[in-house]
Amino acid sequence: MAFLELDGLTRRFGALVAVDQVSMRVEQGEVRAVIGPNGAGKSTLFNLINGVLPASEGEVRFDGRRLNGLSAFEICQLGMSRTFQITALFPEMTARDNARLAAQARLGGRWRPFGGGAVFAEAERRADAALERLGLGHVAGEVAGYLSHGDQRLLEVAMALAQRPRLMLLDEPTQGLSVEETGKAVETLTELLSDGKLTVLLVEHDMEVVFRLAQRITVLHRGAVIADGTPDEVKADANVQSAYLGGFE
Amino acid sequence: MRGWIILLAVVVVLAAAPLGLPLFMMTLLTEALILGLMAMSLDLMVGYTRLVSFGHAAAYGLGAYSAGYILLHSDTPVLFAVFIAAAMTGIVAIAAAWVFTLATGVSFAMLTLAFAQLLYAIAFQWQQVTGGSDGLAGIPRRGGPFGFDLLTSKIGYYYLVLLCLFGAYLFCRTLVNSPFGAVLRGIRENENKTRALGYNTRAYKIGVVAIAYALGGLAGALYAPFAGFTNTELLFWLFSGQALIMVIVGGAGTLIGPILGAALFLLAQHQLSSVTETWAIYFGLMFIAVVLFLPEGIWGTLMQRLGRKTQRV
Ligand SMILES: Nc1ncnc2c1ncn2[C@@H]1O[C@H](COP(=O)(O)OP(=O)(O)OP(=O)(O)O)[C@@H](O)[C@H]1O
Ligand SMILES: [Mg+2]
Repeated sequence: MAFLELDGLTRRFGALVAVDQVSMRVEQGEVRAVIGPNGAGKSTLFNLINGVLPASEGEVRFDGRRLNGLSAFEICQLGMSRTFQITALFPEMTARDNARLAAQARLGGRWRPFGGGAVFAEAERRADAALERLGLGHVAGEVAGYLSHGDQRLLEVAMALAQRPRLMLLDEPTQGLSVEETGKAVETLTELLSDGKLTVLLVEHDMEVVFRLAQRITVLHRGAVIADGTPDEVKADANVQSAYLGGFE
Repeated sequence: MRGWIILLAVVVVLAAAPLGLPLFMMTLLTEALILGLMAMSLDLMVGYTRLVSFGHAAAYGLGAYSAGYILLHSDTPVLFAVFIAAAMTGIVAIAAAWVFTLATGVSFAMLTLAFAQLLYAIAFQWQQVTGGSDGLAGIPRRGGPFGFDLLTSKIGYYYLVLLCLFGAYLFCRTLVNSPFGAVLRGIRENENKTRALGYNTRAYKIGVVAIAYALGGLAGALYAPFAGFTNTELLFWLFSGQALIMVIVGGAGTLIGPILGAALFLLAQHQLSSVTETWAIYFGLMFIAVVLFLPEGIWGTLMQRLGRKTQRV
């Protein structure tokens, strides 16, 4: 039994089949890229996995547990954290408070209506460690809404990391970054993902980044999986070549 | 630290007020503190969670009618009656909030209004319990054992109100600075993200609504034996709107600001209504001016000027 298993996962929006019979196995410690052209259904697939959207058909099993019918917050509590393609954070809080609130969610006293010194201290410790790993230590005290777009993207990853997740879903962490910012972000992410401790599902458009970071790649096209394998296998795949019209190089 | 000293000074001054003020001023001050408690309770929802309510009169009215009924139909001392009424309001609010939180944004606000209007209609119709259009009259400030008899005098009752407001303020301050309060701020800024981070945001919202209504109910419960009567105006939408204005004028998300806003409102009503019948228009103009020129409200702006983003007493 794999760590994350998708079986025949399908999501329809009216007549449109955004995700079509997707099955996938992800092992613990694996960095798996999900790629595909715009509108292929990658973000929708993430929404099905972490419970933002209900599936029309099929099921998700996470560490042996069926997730159908659980809501997003319950799934997160099982140890699955995600970032969004469109940056989602708390713009009026500092970067540290953003990460702190993320870390607090996984602590026992997260709802305590009084006191909470110990909860805050532990959350802050985890938050600072996560910010440090994403190279955001020097902006921890800045208001998130005023950070550069690049730092905001990394802050969202830091928030996910501060939750000490067992599985991380990253939806295009370099989306909308300048060439310069992308370089820096990729470097930071490479460092984060290459220590082999995290299990990650990564959507990314930059093929160079994908081939560098992912051990396995799943290719979506019009909602369906058209290829699944190591970077070399995927590169050589004829279906993928034609889906991407002209291939990668 | 400086904040605590100022707070203590304010409480001491308020506690000494009966020594220097004539009795009619004490009556006005008591009412201001009661209204302040009402506005502060609403601030938990509006200022800290961005749950806008158009129906907070429901909390006040429910508390007032419950306390009035208890005092008229049993020999419960006033001290117990107000807390029982507050608890009842909070419990009813759990069920109401369960419904409110099916919606968000403006729809949420409309549901709070609908609930208040429902109570308003019930208060009119359910003659035996609510007294219908006459309301409940002759509500006693009953003393009781352990020297509670002190509470029956106007000054004694003023101290009860002052203690309730001070206690409620400390309670709210603790709440908003707790882990629970941090989640409320998350909901205020980005509810979807808060949920995605693993928080059951609906449960937190129901929680804060119940607390806000219980404290609003406490304010209403204190009002009934203070005024000696209740009527349906306490549940009217106009009062809900006024409470919202008190919060915004004083400064949403500051707790202190709404108390000031309430006091200012009452003062304006008292001073202007003797001069002109259209005093509400002048207060409305002031409201517009605050929204335009002091978007953080009076207290919020003051705190910002003093260089503190959020007041941390
Ligand atoms: N809530 C929705 N309602 C209707 N259609 C939707 C909804 N969400 C997504 N879609 C449609 O589903 C398809 C897949 O969208 P999705 O966002 O999953 O693609 P994607 O692979 O993430 O694309 P991109 O690379 O642009 O992010 C698109 O055609 C999109 O228009
Ligand atoms: Mg997408």
